[in-house]
Amino acid sequence: MVPDVASPPQHSKRVEAWVYAVLNPVIESLQREIFLLSKGNLSWRFYSKKCEYIHPIRDYVGLAQRPNYEDFLGDPLNTGFAEKYAAHDRALAEVELKASQFSNGLIHAGVFVRQMHESLEEYRLLARTNPLYRYDESLKGTLPRAIAELLVNRIEALPEHYGTAKFWNNYRNKFDVAVEELEPYGERQAFQALVQVREALKELADKLLHDMNAHRQLLCRTFDIPAAPIPVGRSPSHSADIFAI
Amino acid sequence: MILDTGPIREMVTFRAVAEYGFERLQEELHFITDPESYERSSQFIGSFRSKTTSASVVAELNYWIRRTEPAGLERLWNRVAEEFREMQMDEEVVRLVDMASAGELGLGMLAKLGSVDVSLMGLALRHARDGALLLTTDSPLCGECERAGLHVSHFQDVVLPRD
Repeated sequence: MVPDVASPPQHSKRVEAWVYAVLNPVIESLQREIFLLSKGNLSWRFYSKKCEYIHPIRDYVGLAQRPNYEDFLGDPLNTGFAEKYAAHDRALAEVELKASQFSNGLIHAGVFVRQMHESLEEYRLLARTNPLYRYDESLKGTLPRAIAELLVNRIEALPEHYGTAKFWNNYRNKFDVAVEELEPYGERQAFQALVQVREALKELADKLLHDMNAHRQLLCRTFDIPAAPIPVGRSPSHSADIFAI
Repeated sequence: MILDTGPIREMVTFRAVAEYGFERLQEELHFITDPESYERSSQFIGSFRSKTTSASVVAELNYWIRRTEPAGLERLWNRVAEEFREMQMDEEVVRLVDMASAGELGLGMLAKLGSVDVSLMGLALRHARDGALLLTTDSPLCGECERAGLHVSHFQDVVLPRD
């Protein structure tokens, strides 16, 4: 016979595990996600068609802690989070899909191809006289994708030591001004769709962060546990050890 | 330009903190303290046509990543790989047997500096004809390079504003 599932006791190790191994890393990751989304930077990569720093919620929890994650989602004390996580992940999948659709459309749009060709030709001539401008024929193949990625991520200027910085910082205005309207590229709708799903994801992430902060506080107060593990007998400077559960 | 572990770590960390919100990595920054010093470093490194490092440096980065983000190894490795991709960084191998037998380097230098530093000196020798500069945060390595007549700069001098 299966016993009744009781509510965890005070100072419960199980609840500690939920807070330290699930809520804390997810809250930290959501803060970073919102930081990026506020800037319009999806950290989306053309080669993987994925966002580098915005992930499904499950991926914010370390592999070794997945059993605690499953336990957290399965316990009635944490009702509603499974659905909220699923909604977040659906919104993220939508963002990645729209980003791919927009960038694919862009690199095949006639106006974009022509603009790219003209800018590259100008850059090639500059590279003849300025050794800091690196030009090789492979740029014709790689640069349109890199530019589409920068436009998806709304990157304004690249650090000077980046390989595409000289090109992007010189010709950015040409592409960037156009992306606001995108009419010439025929990609205005695709861009608007991307902006819409990006805003929807940010709204969900904001709400989820608020709910998770409130839930952490509730669990900590109800079960009288600290919100983060207290280091015992270690120097506070070793933060990496402190945060590891 | 040949990059040692220190400058790579600083450039990766600053970008991770400022651009991607990895606030906890802030304490890993020892030389780049503000956007201006990052900008100066970026301009200096960007003024070199090509960038390379040694495979031993990547092994040293592995040690740093494991110590710094035990719970986020994949995340930090990803950031380092992205930075290498963006910088179009080359990566070269300097074989131990070559380090141990090279006249300018040899076992004495290996014992004194270790294999990572000697591999970087090996790269500086390999690219000496092209006027390659080694950028490092390691003062003893700087001294040895200067004694060997190799071009070297301490990262501190790059980060500080010029009068």
